Amino acid sequence: MEPFLFLAETGAASGGLAEVAENLQKQFGIHGQLLFSQIVGFLVFAFLLKKFAFGPIQQMLEQRKLRIAEGEEKLKRIEKQLADSEATTAAAIAKANEEAVRLINEAKEGAHAFTEQKSQEAIAHAQQILAKAEAAAQAERAQISAELKREFGRLVAATTAQVTGKVLTADDQKRINEEALAKVEG
Amino acid sequence: MRVGGNFQEKNLPIFLPVSKPAAPAVRAWLHGMIRRPIILTLTAWLACLAPTLAAGDGGHHSLPFNAPVLVDLGFFKITNSMVAMWLVAAVIIFFAQLATRRISLVPTGLQNLFETVVEGLQDFLATIMGEKLAKETFWFFGSIFIFIMCANWMGLFPMVGTVGHYLVDASGHHHSWVPWLRGANADLNMTLGLALVFFAMWLYWSVKANGPGGFLAHIFLYQGEGKGLMKAMLIVIFFLVGFLEIVSIMIRPLTLTFRLYGNIYAGESLLELMLFMGGKWFGWLAALPFYFLELMVGAIQALVFTLLTAVFTSLMCHHEEGDHGH
Repeated sequence: MEPFLFLAETGAASGGLAEVAENLQKQFGIHGQLLFSQIVGFLVFAFLLKKFAFGPIQQMLEQRKLRIAEGEEKLKRIEKQLADSEATTAAAIAKANEEAVRLINEAKEGAHAFTEQKSQEAIAHAQQILAKAEAAAQAERAQISAELKREFGRLVAATTAQVTGKVLTADDQKRINEEALAKVEG
Repeated sequence: MRVGGNFQEKNLPIFLPVSKPAAPAVRAWLHGMIRRPIILTLTAWLACLAPTLAAGDGGHHSLPFNAPVLVDLGFFKITNSMVAMWLVAAVIIFFAQLATRRISLVPTGLQNLFETVVEGLQDFLATIMGEKLAKETFWFFGSIFIFIMCANWMGLFPMVGTVGHYLVDASGHHHSWVPWLRGANADLNMTLGLALVFFAMWLYWSVKANGPGGFLAHIFLYQGEGKGLMKAMLIVIFFLVGFLEIVSIMIRPLTLTFRLYGNIYAGESLLELMLFMGGKWFGWLAALPFYFLELMVGAIQALVFTLLTAVFTSLMCHHEEGDHGH
């Protein structure tokens, strides 16, 4: 039957809803068992699709969302930890710097005092050495001078004895020595 | 057209000798054809329609309203649309199983495709129904959308509606021709079945969301604010409108049924008509533009059915945050 013919027929038969329904049923082949089969078929399809596709995929999407949220949370935590760590490190470095400066200053001060002390000690030691050396030099000079005097006296006495040809007494020798020395030193 | 212009400037001189006197006319004609390939297609399409239109429609049989029965066991009948439905369902389930067999946190291949569809659809439904309700009811709306769209598109495949057998009567004469497959939604049993399943689920979700009393209150009672005479009038009006709402609710499955059936049946009829009008050799060409149209119609009708059912459900079950009334 052509569609328009069917519509006209349906309109003409509008006297009763039951007739319309009957026409629809006949025309479109609505059948209880077919309808039921299609409904069951669709429900089975929906169940299988939920089991094999929607269920696992929704679960996976949820899991992924959770993972991403967790990741974000972790990232935030890590960023915070990093910031804290940076702050702690900066504080530690600042403290270490302060400590180092203090130690350096202390070391500088200590070194300066030590150097001073050692310098003073060295100076004192050097002065002692100088004094000793001076004393030794003076003693040596005195000794040499005495020896020279003695030698000079002996030579003067010997020369005088040879020149005069007489034997000089101890007093003579002493007097000649003193006169000669007085002339040399004068 | 930009492409045509480029083609003309670069390639045309090779094919068209300019020395011939007729060349400019031919070239102009060719330019037009090159610039507007759609005109060429349409011309060919109309050309192949012409002989058939001239010959009239003798011998053409229209697509029957009902799906023919392929197997009749008395208590159990199998129609060609039912076979198509099973086939569509089997293909979808097969690919769904394939996609989720080795489901992983980092999606690849088919899993990607299915996830995109599911996520896109769920997000779309969430904009209508809210995230919670969309998640709860997704098994239904997701199934409806995917099933209707795939079933509609399957109706466009070769062999659907074109391969079948003749019924032979007792005297040995060919009685009528029965195709083995028919678009699943070109059968009123299927679309009515979908609408009835929706109606049942809608009723269940509505009562579940509002309670039996809340369900009726949602339809009949005035929930707004007001005072005095105005409030009394509104209460009466809302109560009376409730009956109209009941009629509207009862009509919904019918409108859903006939909208989907009508569109798909019309599409199949149109394609069949075009195939017939195109004749033995050019039927495919006559029907070709309508295949694109039907591709669109298939998706749009799936979307319309899903959208309407989702909106109906949302109207009854979805309450905005902080809105505890109706």
